[in-house]
Amino acid sequence: MIFAVLLITGIAGAGMYVMKLRSDNAVLKANQLKLETAVEEQNKVLKQQKEDFTAIMESNKKLNVLINTFKKDLQDLDKRFTKKNRDIGKLALERTKAIERIVNGGGKNAARCIELASGAEHTEAELKATLKSEINPECPALANPNYVPFK
Amino acid sequence: MYHLNKILAVAFIILLTGCSVGEKKIKIFSLEKPREKLNYEMPTPLQMEDIYWYIITSENAEEVFAKLEAAGIDPVLFGITDKDFQVLARNFAQIRQKLQETNNLLEEYKKYYEDSGNPQ
Repeated sequence: MIFAVLLITGIAGAGMYVMKLRSDNAVLKANQLKLETAVEEQNKVLKQQKEDFTAIMESNKKLNVLINTFKKDLQDLDKRFTKKNRDIGKLALERTKAIERIVNGGGKNAARCIELASGAEHTEAELKATLKSEINPECPALANPNYVPFK
Repeated sequence: MYHLNKILAVAFIILLTGCSVGEKKIKIFSLEKPREKLNYEMPTPLQMEDIYWYIITSENAEEVFAKLEAAGIDPVLFGITDKDFQVLARNFAQIRQKLQETNNLLEEYKKYYEDSGNPQ
């Protein structure tokens, strides 16, 4: 009788132990899966960060080039007014009609530069321009992407 | 007694291994719903209107005003000096550059957040 009670108690205990093991196992499996998912996600994040970093560097480079172009354009503009001690006022007194024509041409070109800067499409002539006589001298880098200035 | 032990042993083994049968497997998955794109059109490009610059000196002033009157235009001009004309040209160049820079930044942002799959 005692033996039977011991046996039943033992079996019940073993059963409960197995149940506990099973539940522990389920928890461990869940944790393992969570870890695997987390690792996978971390890898994805790392990959994305790498791609982002490259994209940011590329974008910075582009913007730096653009800002340098701006500086050069402004310097060129100043140069056009002051090259070789040029005095535009004096020139206008001496050659009024010619300067009027040049100023109006420059004004038109400058207006076109603003249109392009606001996102207007390039015309075929602007894209094809490769000679100095064909370009818009107010903003050659913007208006004539195929023009390479002679250095 | 010998048979009873055998039966008990087999029963014990079945009891221990039986729990592993039919165990459900856990699957964890996450579903990422990408953020909706802000599909604004790029701003409409500007269309500038032509203006005409008159150069007036003390010598040609009368001639210019006479021409304006002959063309039916009020003989009045809003003038700037040659130095201010240079400043105006420079100011316009700076406005144009700022416009271009802002448009470029907008395009870069668009490219960064929409092409690379960054959800922000």
